[in-house]
Amino acid sequence: MAEESLIRVDGVSKKFCKSLKHNMLYGAHDLARNFLGLPRGPAELRESEFWSLDDISFELKRGECLGLIGPNGAGKSTLLKILNGIIAPDRGRVETSRRVGALIEVGAGFHPMLTGRENIFVNSAILGFSKQETTRKFDEIIDFADIGDFIDSPVKHYSSGMHVRLGFAIAAQMQPDVLLIDEILAVGDAGFRSKCYNCIGRLAERSAVVFVSHAMPAVSRLSTRTMVLDHGKTSFHGHPAEAIAHYHRLFDNQMRPTRQGLGSACIHSLQVLDAAGCPVRSIVQGQGLTVRFGVRTDVAITNTCLDLVFVSIADEVVAECNNLVAGKTINLQAGSDIHVYVHIDSFSLNAGIYRISALVLSADMIMHYDWQKDIASIEVRADRVGVAGQQYRARWTLTDSPQETSK
Amino acid sequence: MAIEKIIYTPEGQFVAGQRGYFLKLRAMVSEAIGARELIWRLFLRDFRGRYRQSVLGIAWAVLLPFATVGVFVAMNRSGVLTIGDVGVPYPAYALTGLTYWSLFSTGLTACSSSLINAGSMLTKINFPKSALVFSAGAQGIVEFLIRAALTAGVLAWYGIAPDWRGIALGLLCVIPLCLLMFGLGFIVAIVGGIFRDVVNAINAVLAGLLVLTPILYPVRPDSPVAIMNAFNPINHLINFPRDLILYGASATHSSFWITAFLSALLLVTTWRLFFVAQARVLERV
Repeated sequence: MAEESLIRVDGVSKKFCKSLKHNMLYGAHDLARNFLGLPRGPAELRESEFWSLDDISFELKRGECLGLIGPNGAGKSTLLKILNGIIAPDRGRVETSRRVGALIEVGAGFHPMLTGRENIFVNSAILGFSKQETTRKFDEIIDFADIGDFIDSPVKHYSSGMHVRLGFAIAAQMQPDVLLIDEILAVGDAGFRSKCYNCIGRLAERSAVVFVSHAMPAVSRLSTRTMVLDHGKTSFHGHPAEAIAHYHRLFDNQMRPTRQGLGSACIHSLQVLDAAGCPVRSIVQGQGLTVRFGVRTDVAITNTCLDLVFVSIADEVVAECNNLVAGKTINLQAGSDIHVYVHIDSFSLNAGIYRISALVLSADMIMHYDWQKDIASIEVRADRVGVAGQQYRARWTLTDSPQETSK
Repeated sequence: MAIEKIIYTPEGQFVAGQRGYFLKLRAMVSEAIGARELIWRLFLRDFRGRYRQSVLGIAWAVLLPFATVGVFVAMNRSGVLTIGDVGVPYPAYALTGLTYWSLFSTGLTACSSSLINAGSMLTKINFPKSALVFSAGAQGIVEFLIRAALTAGVLAWYGIAPDWRGIALGLLCVIPLCLLMFGLGFIVAIVGGIFRDVVNAINAVLAGLLVLTPILYPVRPDSPVAIMNAFNPINHLINFPRDLILYGASATHSSFWITAFLSALLLVTTWRLFFVAQARVLERV
């Protein structure tokens, strides 16, 4: 028989209420039914309620890791809370191992007046360790937290980093069957972060992991499967790279082109073409790409600056094509209408979707004749999502002699 | 090794494979037993935290009842308030009553803010929430013990040497008061988690109750307050054990036992309500 699932989620739904007044009323109503052991009322929505989670199902075995991604308010944290047993589902059922560990808010429950040493015992008890276990692991915790003499100062004198270090060090002693993680990887300085990664890796080998993150590189690396949540629904569930692409497309659909600038020049069309010259919406990472756009101008602009800007989903400017940087002089005559082709040999941005903005500027880049924001978008596909914005696919050779012999 | 499973459904949480009667009750009790170490740690945390960075520290637990009794002694002497003969020196009478009262008032006050004080821990970590209430109530019990030691000293100083059986029974009879305190504690904790009004309301109610209940002075049996106090559980739960300690006997057996029984019933009901409601309430904290 195959190994049994450590966590099984069947059609879980959760409704929340937007109005405080109704919220309290429904709360009292549901409570009374629960208390009397009555079956719950109809599962339909009542006034001003909405489904925060709608019919979510999945199953995880030991060693599997589910990444949860989605826009803000998609229901990711709510799902984690249900899996953790903090709030109850309104429909469906969750079956999970009792040994659930959550790296959600480490250091919650610290008393500011007590020393770190005293708080280790308090926090361990909250996480369910016995005194013997805590005493046995005490040195390991202090070692991991690595906060020196501060261990004997009141926690209120700790920096936020030290607070998190101590909290994580305690939580790291868990040996859960199911591990829930909410954006934990963003804590502490670089040195501590790598320690956290190693620790999570060690825990993950022996457990089923559900983690929420907005950091796509982490999702791509850690998860064996990825689920995209959107407005409480499973919008995609499957291979991480496809899930991430799907997630990016959610934002692409929301893209609204806007136009600013003087208006005396106009970029009236823009297409992205592949190597064969066909318009495309996506390309494979590292392939060649051409951006074609048309510029009409009412005034003469000498030594103009045409600028293409690529912006990531996270609103970072990740790449740019600028004729002045490239050393190409362009003079536009009044009343002209021209087509510009920009060839890029190897378009190797990190996998994801990029919005393209196009600008017509004066040579000093101060006068904006036209500024088309988000006029188009291009998706870069790859099996893996890297960390950096720019991914050189490069040529890789392996040899055991100090000289590179192969070509 | 079989993996122990837990199931969450809209109807509540269940341990996989567990069947039979009183499932909720069994789950509640086993949760509390499993959490005894957590209760102790939370209690220590709050107890130490409270008295740290204060000069007098734990002496406060001793000073406050003296101050209250001092005020009443002064009012009695100056004739503002006439307290009849209570059969023993008045400070001994008042301190004994206050000792029992402090268990109830300190415990209930701590319970009312127990969920609020837990803060983000509540919605982020899954731990037995009833431990918060038990550890808060334990503050009252410990305060009772500190004051009991002090009161014993005062009784000895006045040369009141009660029957040892009276003392033993008097101390044992504090249990129903604990049941009532926890019984009300669970309800104020969970309601206080949602409505912050509870913390203020509890303080006002306790202040009024201290004055209306015959704790610091006896009430004339024909007064309207006395009639009201016939239905006041605190009255029965405090005066019966006090009578046992100070006089070795009490005339109010039956009302004490009825109140004790009702207190136990209250605790079972509100604890269960707390247990069932916690997931629903946490959505709204």
